[in-house]
Amino acid sequence: MSAIFEIKQLSKRIPAGDGLSGERLLLNHINAVIQEPESIAMMGASGQGKSTLLRILACLESADEGELYVHGSSCRSMDRTKWRSQVCYVAQQAVMLPGSVEDNLRTVSRLHGTAYEEQLAIRLMDRSGLDSITMKKSAEDLSGGEKQRLALIRSLMLRPSVLLLDEVTASLDAVSGRLIEEVLMDWHNSEGTSMLWVTHHADQARRVASRAWTLEGGKLLDSGSHSLPDWEEDKEELLGSVNQA
Amino acid sequence: MTLLALSCTLIFVFITMFVSFWKKIGLEKSIAIGSIRAAVQLLAIGYVLQYIFKTESLAFILIIVLIMIAVASWNASKRGDGLKGVFWRIALTIVAMEAFMMLFLIGLKLIEPTPQYIIPLSGMTIGNAMIVAGLFTTAVKREVETSRGEIETLLSLGASGVQALQGPMKRAVKFSMIPTIDSLKTVGLVQLPGMMTGMIIAGADPVEAVRYQLLILFSHTGSAAMTSMILSMLYQKLLFTPDLRLRKIGRS
Repeated sequence: MSAIFEIKQLSKRIPAGDGLSGERLLLNHINAVIQEPESIAMMGASGQGKSTLLRILACLESADEGELYVHGSSCRSMDRTKWRSQVCYVAQQAVMLPGSVEDNLRTVSRLHGTAYEEQLAIRLMDRSGLDSITMKKSAEDLSGGEKQRLALIRSLMLRPSVLLLDEVTASLDAVSGRLIEEVLMDWHNSEGTSMLWVTHHADQARRVASRAWTLEGGKLLDSGSHSLPDWEEDKEELLGSVNQA
Repeated sequence: MTLLALSCTLIFVFITMFVSFWKKIGLEKSIAIGSIRAAVQLLAIGYVLQYIFKTESLAFILIIVLIMIAVASWNASKRGDGLKGVFWRIALTIVAMEAFMMLFLIGLKLIEPTPQYIIPLSGMTIGNAMIVAGLFTTAVKREVETSRGEIETLLSLGASGVQALQGPMKRAVKFSMIPTIDSLKTVGLVQLPGMMTGMIIAGADPVEAVRYQLLILFSHTGSAAMTSMILSMLYQKLLFTPDLRLRKIGRS
């Protein structure tokens, strides 16, 4: 049986920056696989390419080399709209589409010509603490935290196989952040959607993920079967072995 | 009008140049060059039109219209700095608009198929399409940059290129139509259009002049809307890579 999601030999070069000419290798022949539905934390220092990797996985940016697969189908051979319906990217800063809260919730049904799952939308709104918001309210008038929750619900209505979460709780207060974590973990457990969380916080990674991918020096290190607290301790040793290789 | 009387109107140009010099605005050279160019271009086209009206040659009409289209397309495409292939898309749109308008006007016998009607009306149609194309191109570039988040959010939700650009394109079409709509609303109240004024000064019946002006206004409104809508379709592919990623619009 094919894996849910697979990254093979993925590389990305970017301009060297800092006044230097030429390019540097941001992502260096990365390999990773998600065999069964799971929630994974993507970690690493700033500038290591976490957001770029997520955008490449969603085909919003191009890679220089490598291949991606979802359920065994290659990114190259698949229509981009179908790919993004299965591998959905959620940005750190939620963007509200013009119109009301309901217009935003109906986006997926409008784009794909499918029936609007009103009960699901209401259930997710309730679960996310947005039950007091009227559907006719302008989405632009919501607070930052409310916008982020609505953006996540909008993406969940797509029912993707893989959800790419780019620091989705970074700009939120602790309570809103925990609410979002709970909603997403509920969804992961009930629907089997795989989740890739970019986060800078080890405690959040421990709450939401069963393993971690760490980007460092262009390489992706997979914690594998290590539990996350152990992984934090063993990382230096693993990094050393990767660098030697 | 005698040449001497016409020369007296140069006093307005000198006043403008004097104000520019006095206030150190630095526009004297541009005003002088612009005025000379306008006089030479208009006098030249006056003699050319005089000759063409006499000969009634179809080839000459075509050459004049093609030159108008080329200049208009080149001028409007300067607004598309950073977008490849804008010139040909604008040229194609203006050709389509011009062909449609002339076939419509001649087919319905609203105008005579003579150079006297075809050339001035083509000039107005092409000039109007040029302004709309320039405004639309400017608006599209601005909309795509400011709505990048909106477009990528829709792409992330599995939208096609057409679906992702629907909002920004709609706003760009609206923006490019503003002068046309404003002109429709205020004509006769704020401004007396040039063509109508010219006909009245030349001794035509004012009601007849108004009829022609209405013909121009209505056909221009239609052509403005069609120009921006055709361009909105032709620009779709310019804004995305073949694998449906939103391009960054840089300065070329």
